[in-house]
Amino acid sequence: MEQAMLRCEDLRKSYGDREAVKGVTFAIAERECYGLLGPNGAGKTTTISMLCGLILPDQGEVTVDGFAGGTLEAKAVVGYVPQDLALYPDLSAVENLTFFGQLYGLGGKELQGRIGETLELVGLADRGKDRIGTYSGGMKRRANMAAGLLHRPKLLVLDEPTVGVDPQSRNSILETVGRLGIAVLYTTHYMEEAARLCDRIGIIDDGRLIAEGTAESLIGTHGGKDKVHLSCDEASLDVLSAACLELHNVHNVHEHEGNLELTTDHGPAVLSAVVAVATKHGVDLTGVEVRTPNLEDVFLTLTGKELRD
Amino acid sequence: MIRVIAWNELHRRLRDRSVLIGCLAAPLLMAAVLGLSFAGGASATPVHIGVSGASPQMLTAALDASQLPKNVTVTTLPSQQSVKNAVASGTLDGGVAVLPSQLRLHTLLIPIVDPGATHTPGFDVVTKGTSPLGEEYAESVAAGISSVMYASRVPHMEATEAADPATVAVNSEEVGHGGKVNLNFFAPNIAVVFLFIGSGLGMRSLLMERSAGTLARITAAPVRPTQIVLGKLLAIFLTGMATIFVIWAVTTYGFGADWGNLLGVLLMAIGATAAMCGIGVFLTSLAKTEQQAFGITLLVGLFLALVGGNLLPSGSLPDAFQVIALGTPNGWALVGFGRLDQLGEPASSIIGPFVILLIIAVVAGGLAMTRVRRMVEP
Repeated sequence: MEQAMLRCEDLRKSYGDREAVKGVTFAIAERECYGLLGPNGAGKTTTISMLCGLILPDQGEVTVDGFAGGTLEAKAVVGYVPQDLALYPDLSAVENLTFFGQLYGLGGKELQGRIGETLELVGLADRGKDRIGTYSGGMKRRANMAAGLLHRPKLLVLDEPTVGVDPQSRNSILETVGRLGIAVLYTTHYMEEAARLCDRIGIIDDGRLIAEGTAESLIGTHGGKDKVHLSCDEASLDVLSAACLELHNVHNVHEHEGNLELTTDHGPAVLSAVVAVATKHGVDLTGVEVRTPNLEDVFLTLTGKELRD
Repeated sequence: MIRVIAWNELHRRLRDRSVLIGCLAAPLLMAAVLGLSFAGGASATPVHIGVSGASPQMLTAALDASQLPKNVTVTTLPSQQSVKNAVASGTLDGGVAVLPSQLRLHTLLIPIVDPGATHTPGFDVVTKGTSPLGEEYAESVAAGISSVMYASRVPHMEATEAADPATVAVNSEEVGHGGKVNLNFFAPNIAVVFLFIGSGLGMRSLLMERSAGTLARITAAPVRPTQIVLGKLLAIFLTGMATIFVIWAVTTYGFGADWGNLLGVLLMAIGATAAMCGIGVFLTSLAKTEQQAFGITLLVGLFLALVGGNLLPSGSLPDAFQVIALGTPNGWALVGFGRLDQLGEPASSIIGPFVILLIIAVVAGGLAMTRVRRMVEP
């Protein structure tokens, strides 16, 4: 990657005996949205804290837009949106943004203009003068994001921005991030968000980046095959199992808790053939489910545990 | 950037009204209580005080400094025992025996810092439980003698036995307003306590910001850790100055207190605020949580107030505490304010206490900066 907005090399951080980050390396290009996907405690927040200069890595290097991580120059081009609401509840959104804008050297009419634009961007233009403490949870999250966007950063770092947010606000946040057009580092443990937003995804677990790529490539490489789950009366299981195994593109059939699970390259295409053989053998199907692999499966394959563990 | 952070701090504290309560309402209330308590008019009951071991000349100067009301009569007596006998028999309401052989220059400060000290080396303030006014005026006389001796730096020359009993004229310019002497003393006294509590509570804001996540957002911005800490300190200093100004204004214009030379008062306010802020912030920096900070501030604040002479007469405490009083910032603040309001000395008289307070501010503030920087540094 020639023009990396963010480059991390072998980042390591320990707290006492516990090694929270164990040699994380990745880079984000200009205008690229990079998702850091991992369960709680995987090391996401520690990693981005090092990127934003909030904590010093024990080892490794961070470069932001050509500047060493943690320097004032690097901090000036990063917009940090922490996981928790980091705003003053007794102040209005405009007052909060005024303060945080001033920390980035903004002032006067330029600052006022930016505040108006940013509140418009996150859909809070009509509530700017209200105190943050009177906002709903979703509005607080959007205001939280506005504070990170105000100074027009080249790299926006979002630490789980949708945790505990209602679906409408969540969608609003995702749409806003989607149309920013700047480099974004997005940490989440929601695989749907990562798949929807991110150009590339890094999967982090136990302080290590264990896989990286586009959602499609990760699923293609680590997600496994499509699964078709069939339910029928117990007496017909053996007949249906044998018939399905004969079908083209069905690689494997196994019985699990009174149901059949077919492993196939393309579940939807196999489905009609399954229904046909069931009819042919007089088997009454009581349930059919096609499941294509997703990032959850990728994570399960790579770590042996669920993403939300 | 320091100004931006300081203004944000003040803005938020104004918005949540903690500044209004801590720097305006509480001092206002306290100043009003003090004013009504001490400046509401002195008792007209005659009070007789006896003094031994001080020459009439020195006693006259001491009584000028004490500005006792007209109803107080001061009589010189030949010995400590005669003072005790007269107080015990009820002839006198209170007495002071100056013991020249036990006087030391440094112990002379104790009655000035703490007029309630009844067992200061070199002085025996003889009191009777049934006459609180006698006790109060005897303490004032002791403080006046002590301050005159300290000012002259030659206690052994001035403290001589009086041969015959004699009555010494009392400066009666403050007739009917004898309580002002106490108001003059207690107003800065209470202001200093407020300064300490205010600075300790003010720095809790940093701990609150850390737990709320706003500190992380500030440190993620292109701001140096030193600027963050200095911004917070500036806000605390300004609120401290506001507190002391409110108490000064209310007691002066509302109740006629006289804090003394204005320049001196300003310098002492700056020195006391800086020192108390330094100590308060340092103590808060030792805490990991807001609750710990509150506990430490309260504990140390009470301790300093006790040994420094803000709450109880240090003379009623062990000797070691009386020496500690002169090592406390509030003790030195009271020395400085006392020279201005009790003795009516010029601004130049408080250079010593002012410099000591600045040294305390620099040392405590430096230690505090070192510790607080750890909170905001990566």
